[in-house]
Amino acid sequence: MTASNEPSAHPSGNASSEGPSVPIHLRPARDGDVPALVPLLLRLKRLNEEFDPLLKVREDADEQARHLLHANLADPKAVVLAAEGVGADKDKVVGVVRAIVRERPFYVPEFEGVILDIYLLPLYRRRGVGEYLLREVSAALKAKGAGVVTAEFPSQNEIASRFYQKRGFRPITAIHARSL
Amino acid sequence: MAESSAAPVAAGGEGRRRSRAARSAAETSEEETAALGRRAVELSAFYQGKIETVPKVPVRSLRDFALWYTPGVAEVSRAIQADPDLSFDLTGRWNTVAIVTDGSRVLGLGDIGPRAALPVMEGKALLFKFLGGVDALPIPLQVSSPAQFIASVEAMAPAFGGINLEDIASPKCFGILEELQKRLPIPVWHDDQLGTAAATVAGLLNALELTRRSMREVRTVLLGAGAANLVTARLLLALGHDPHRLSLVDQKGILHAERDDVDELMVRNPWKYRAALRTNGGGRTGDLSAALEGADVLLAASTPRPDTIRAAQVRSMAPGPIVFALANPLPEIWPEAAKAAGAAVVATGRSDFPNQVNNSLIFPAVFRGILDARARTIPDEVVLAAARELARGAERKGLTAQHLLPTMEEPEVFPEIAAAVGDAAVRLGIARKRLTHDEFLDRARAMMGRSTRLVRALARARLTPPMPRGTARPGKESK
Repeated sequence: MTASNEPSAHPSGNASSEGPSVPIHLRPARDGDVPALVPLLLRLKRLNEEFDPLLKVREDADEQARHLLHANLADPKAVVLAAEGVGADKDKVVGVVRAIVRERPFYVPEFEGVILDIYLLPLYRRRGVGEYLLREVSAALKAKGAGVVTAEFPSQNEIASRFYQKRGFRPITAIHARSL
Repeated sequence: MAESSAAPVAAGGEGRRRSRAARSAAETSEEETAALGRRAVELSAFYQGKIETVPKVPVRSLRDFALWYTPGVAEVSRAIQADPDLSFDLTGRWNTVAIVTDGSRVLGLGDIGPRAALPVMEGKALLFKFLGGVDALPIPLQVSSPAQFIASVEAMAPAFGGINLEDIASPKCFGILEELQKRLPIPVWHDDQLGTAAATVAGLLNALELTRRSMREVRTVLLGAGAANLVTARLLLALGHDPHRLSLVDQKGILHAERDDVDELMVRNPWKYRAALRTNGGGRTGDLSAALEGADVLLAASTPRPDTIRAAQVRSMAPGPIVFALANPLPEIWPEAAKAAGAAVVATGRSDFPNQVNNSLIFPAVFRGILDARARTIPDEVVLAAARELARGAERKGLTAQHLLPTMEEPEVFPEIAAAVGDAAVRLGIARKRLTHDEFLDRARAMMGRSTRLVRALARARLTPPMPRGTARPGKESK
């Protein structure tokens, strides 16, 4: 899988916001959410396209996203969360988090929780929402045995980079690419 | 829906008529522009520049240089070293402005570079001096990044009482302005954002008054989401316009929080992104037609093509709508077409139609005011004070649908704007020099009047040679 994920919940320092003040409700995703989650994943991938031509989105990306989400939902090592609006936006899926626990055969901790995708519709960003999503997915990954949490996103995405670095993440592996 | 089936027919018929009229008006305007262009080249070759520095102190003999220069001047330097703010009192800094550009978006010419931008900046400097009594220096920069631009302006700031940014491409102009406003202890202005927006807001305030509408209740569509309209939107919201009744529209349609390109904007144009979130389309999605249906106000600063806005779209607005078609040189819709479609008030960016929305009504007076107040910065409140005063200027002479704003032939409004700006700077606590309203007014009148007298005196004394007779289409240019 290409490194192509970032938190669009780009935070503006309201690090103290706790769950209840956040204008979303987060829950594990279900198969029935997939049609609502696919366009959100595609928005994220199209954003990634902005950062590098090697992240150009495939024609069949929506179909791929659908398959992938169904596979993740059936996979005990994967975490897929759906963010719903509250109040008038209740029942509207406004965000998605997708992560997976991978084994690290050479390193300790042995299991790594990889945040593959975080996407929130723009109106639900800030106010500490991204922070909240990160905390929740980290907890879910930890519960599945992960001893370290990592995030994959395009190298040129400075917004994502700042978001994670502010929260104690540092770059540990780089993926460099060139066309063949 | 019943209306929409009839609309295309009407629009088609009228479209043909209008495009004939548009063509002839466009052709006339193109010919005139071409003649003016030839004459401008001729005169530029004759005068070789539009401004020069002129001594403002007596020089009775070379001995006086012991005062104006060394050794006497050293004491002046020591005084400023001890109190840097004295540079505003003991040198010309207080009245000197840098006109800085990278030449990346000059007039309608695009990215023509700093050398080609120089004649435009010289013209601006002339306007600054003639209308505002401000000494302005044209400074086109050869730079390769916004960071380099910012560093260059920061480095030159000690010589200036204010900075006027000019003709910088959007969206980088937003970042450059924001950063320089943060860093510099003097006001930084970008005329294509603030000047145009202030003049637009002034026109709108009067148009609302004329049509008995209130800022808090109107539904407004801004066509074009570039430098001017993004700031206009910000100013309207500051004046109490409901963000959910304000739609920004660009080539991709209504700008809203879930538009496909909104994440791209977050990365490439955060100012437009923030506007998308704040207004969220004014509750609408779709194209310009969808935005305009039932809207009270249309402020267009977009494509200079008179079929950008169709008559049917104006007809779909609320009764007696306000239409500003500000693109230059050609408005987005011809004023007569907008009127025929029901517009109660129409404004354009051109001087040959009534109601010209023109940033030259704003910037000389704004700088006069902020320089006289020795202001540290220029927040939106000051911009709005200028807009309100410009609007009042038209009211004093009698507000009509043909006289929405003062024209350049009503110079008495300029000192009033300068004084309003000075007052606002004092009120906001950003003035180094706290004058009274009357003091600001007297000073502005004196400074502006002196410029006019200076230009006349130089001509009378033949120090400014008279314009040579034209060889390029003689007589045409004198219109």
